[in-house]
Amino acid sequence: MKHINKGIVLLIWAANGYAQDTTKLQDTTQTLEAVTITATAKRKMETDMKMVISIDEFLASSERISFIKRGAFAWEPLLNNMTTERSSITIDGMHVFGACTDKMDPITSYIESNNLSTIDISSGQQGSMHGATVAGNIDLKRKSTSFSLEKQWRGIYQTGFESNNKHFFHLGNMAYSSDRLVLDASLAFRKASSYFDGHKERIDHSQYHKINASFGLALKTGKFAAVRVDAIYDQAKDVGYPGLPMDLGLSRAFITSLSYKQLFEEGLVKSWDTKLYFNALEHYMDDTKRPENLVHMDMPGWSTTYGLLSNVSLHHGDFRSEIQLNAYDNLSIAEMRMYPQDRSRQTMFAYTWPWVSTGFVGFAVNSSWDITTRSQLDFGASFGWHYNHSKYVEFNRIFYPEASPHKGRLLPGLHTRYQLDINSFRFSVGLGYGHRAPSVSEGYGYYIYNSFDRYDYVGNPNLKNEISYELNAGMGFKKERFRAEAKMNYFHIQHYIVGEILHLGSPMNYQSVGVKGYASLKYAKIFNLNLHVGYDLLEHLHWKGELSYSRARDDKQEPLPFIRPLSYQSSLYFMHRKFGAQLSVQGDLSQWDFSAAYGEDHTAAYSVYNLSMDYSFKIKAHELTLQFGVENLFNRYYSTYADWGNIPRMGRNVFTALKFNL
Amino acid sequence: MKKTMLFLFVLCHVLFSCTKEKTNYNKELEPGDISNQEVKVAYKLNIGDYEVSIKTRSGKLHLGYNKIYIELTNRFTGERAPLDAFQFSAVMNHSSGQKAAAPYRFDLGEQVEEGPYAGYVVFPDQSSADVAWTLYMQISIYDQTYALEQEVQVEAQENKNLNMTTFIGEDDDVYCVALIAPQQPIVGENELITGIYRYTSFSNISTEYNPGEVEYAFLEAKGYTLKLDPRMPDPSMGNHSSPNNKDLAQRDDGLYYGQVNYTMTGNWTLNFILLNGQGQVVKGEDVPTDFTPGVEGVKSTLHLDILF
Repeated sequence: MKHINKGIVLLIWAANGYAQDTTKLQDTTQTLEAVTITATAKRKMETDMKMVISIDEFLASSERISFIKRGAFAWEPLLNNMTTERSSITIDGMHVFGACTDKMDPITSYIESNNLSTIDISSGQQGSMHGATVAGNIDLKRKSTSFSLEKQWRGIYQTGFESNNKHFFHLGNMAYSSDRLVLDASLAFRKASSYFDGHKERIDHSQYHKINASFGLALKTGKFAAVRVDAIYDQAKDVGYPGLPMDLGLSRAFITSLSYKQLFEEGLVKSWDTKLYFNALEHYMDDTKRPENLVHMDMPGWSTTYGLLSNVSLHHGDFRSEIQLNAYDNLSIAEMRMYPQDRSRQTMFAYTWPWVSTGFVGFAVNSSWDITTRSQLDFGASFGWHYNHSKYVEFNRIFYPEASPHKGRLLPGLHTRYQLDINSFRFSVGLGYGHRAPSVSEGYGYYIYNSFDRYDYVGNPNLKNEISYELNAGMGFKKERFRAEAKMNYFHIQHYIVGEILHLGSPMNYQSVGVKGYASLKYAKIFNLNLHVGYDLLEHLHWKGELSYSRARDDKQEPLPFIRPLSYQSSLYFMHRKFGAQLSVQGDLSQWDFSAAYGEDHTAAYSVYNLSMDYSFKIKAHELTLQFGVENLFNRYYSTYADWGNIPRMGRNVFTALKFNL
Repeated sequence: MKKTMLFLFVLCHVLFSCTKEKTNYNKELEPGDISNQEVKVAYKLNIGDYEVSIKTRSGKLHLGYNKIYIELTNRFTGERAPLDAFQFSAVMNHSSGQKAAAPYRFDLGEQVEEGPYAGYVVFPDQSSADVAWTLYMQISIYDQTYALEQEVQVEAQENKNLNMTTFIGEDDDVYCVALIAPQQPIVGENELITGIYRYTSFSNISTEYNPGEVEYAFLEAKGYTLKLDPRMPDPSMGNHSSPNNKDLAQRDDGLYYGQVNYTMTGNWTLNFILLNGQGQVVKGEDVPTDFTPGVEGVKSTLHLDILF
């Protein structure tokens, strides 16, 4: 009997990335975020509003995430109002680094929503499991079907159309499972034209084309052991970035891993999971469709990463712990070749990332102790060694003559949190401390043009570690039909890295007005507050409201850039039998706290209404879901605080989607 | 399982043939005509039992700075022989009848016993219908002294990193500024070396050796300063410049040393101002420092264009 139970546990494991206490998992779906050692609860890859979504849309449904948008595709996720340098974004714990110096390719752009089962978002130091971070971790969890006692074939096909930008998509998934073998495969196509804003003006260069395919194979090698091979291939072509002076010609990613997992029946160790991974990205910008550009440029970039991840899960009585080893080595290369107007003359060449290697080896421990049935203590630590090497350090030495090609850093981190349930209330309070190393661009970038403040940015190899001191607290209340939750966090970040004007040299890109070098502020402070309220009006009618407030200051008490103004969301949801409908309003208040010093200007308030309806039915044994909706119902013309170059957002968009279970 | 792994392995290889090749950076830096060739014989002369080879990198002599190797071998045994004493003169014969000696330097003292003996000569003009060049040498081997004379051809300079200019300064003297290094610049810090020469009456020279009977010679100009402002003149570069450059000052070997930073490959202009020992401007002026995209950069009246 016991063996059978264990067997079932193994089946469940294949679906979850980590062996967790399953009862805990259920808990978390109803309570405050992150009780378990791996942060938040599992969510399906869909929002209340839309059933077939992009990864960006899914992330946007988390109140911790906001976006810098350079176009209609590949938004840069900001976690706790911090840019991607400060967060770690991983795919099943694997590190992947973008290959574009202009941040056209956050890691989320190389994945498709049908690759994923969910996305785990861990705030602050709780996200240090996969490597050093300040803002937290976004872990994209791939789909992996569990072993099944019976042989099973399953398939899902999703298709849809969005009217505003003629966005067609086809997403297909197939899975086979048996008691020894699991096969997963997916295929996705997306094609979108340029979108129209609320004034019915076309936003040129906002089209995109994307293909994504993934493959997974798991094989049981013993009663409690399995190996799994995964591969994702992603290709984006002809992607426009209206906020930038260049577009994407072609990008390709190949993301693979080989993992081995062993479960243990008895003893302290419950599971051991080891993964070797490799990924290679190539990214080629294109300016041939921008005749207004004075200078034609080629800007290719490459990023290659090898890594190892090994995780041991322990459980003893009221005590659970996870220990993880992370190691990776990345090589980032980016080139810039400028063509003179007289094409017979010689081209001009420089590296914008002069073959920069980044190595990391680190241990992380996350533990959880149930002190009583009503109180719990989470605590963890991480310690890593981070290493950079710049092959062509002569580029960096132009601005920093004493720069060494090598740089090693120690990155410690600590965090703890106490949580207490009293009747219908839940309280939590936590502390964190952690370091992060500068990114490749911050440390070794060379004349990377930032079209937001129109400066050329030069990396500084001598930057200090950014050190974060973090305080977080939460309070939740739940009674019958009403639930409310408040969460706050406060980061005091020492040596906060920003670009400062260098009174040295002169710009290289013709649009640029000067050169900025990365420098450390004495400190910066970031405060985030989120409020959630939910009320079940009727049996089938639910209301949900959200309010987010953030405030950030540098060491001169000036505002930091890309901090979300007071924002709100309110939605009504009706569901009865096979029919569902939702109406929502969402918006930001006026951004009066903008940062002129960092190139921001005032962004006006806006609110946008969305409406959607869905209906499920069956044709023979196949379940179908049909959805129809409108985004930006009143065709509002607006742009948000984080729209690069104030490009207006999409106007009214009618969308339809069909989901078909084969 | 093995087959699957093999399949994945093959798939990896197919997928990893990058769409665009990465730039071969070392090749990018080569000026083209002077890749790492070995030195070649430019001229051969026979004296007694010995053969004198004049070698250069290209096997030719060019306008501006030339590094020259003198090698002495026994014609019968092929063994190298040491030079006991050496005198050198490169003389320009102008059709107007004027004769002038080119600047040069051979420091035999620091050279290895059997050579080849390295030195340099700076040709301020190239051979033409009006200009003919003759090399004179006086070589002593085992107490025997030989005098040599060889007409040579001075060709145009193909490496723009060895460009030179001659001009009349505010003090009405004639000057020559010739680039010596870097011959193959890198993106980054480069030690910039130039020779600065002033056209002077030969009587100012301490040597007695004057086989061409010249009246004038270009002599190392002493105690000057060469102020530097490197810029990219192409209109698309908007008068782009680089930080942390250092003006050139003279060192003990007579040459002027400074530092130039090139931020990328391509066409650069080294804008100079030549100051004499009293700090007076001999030639050149400050150039605009504004960033002006679409406009060709203004050059100093004393400048040298380079390309890499």
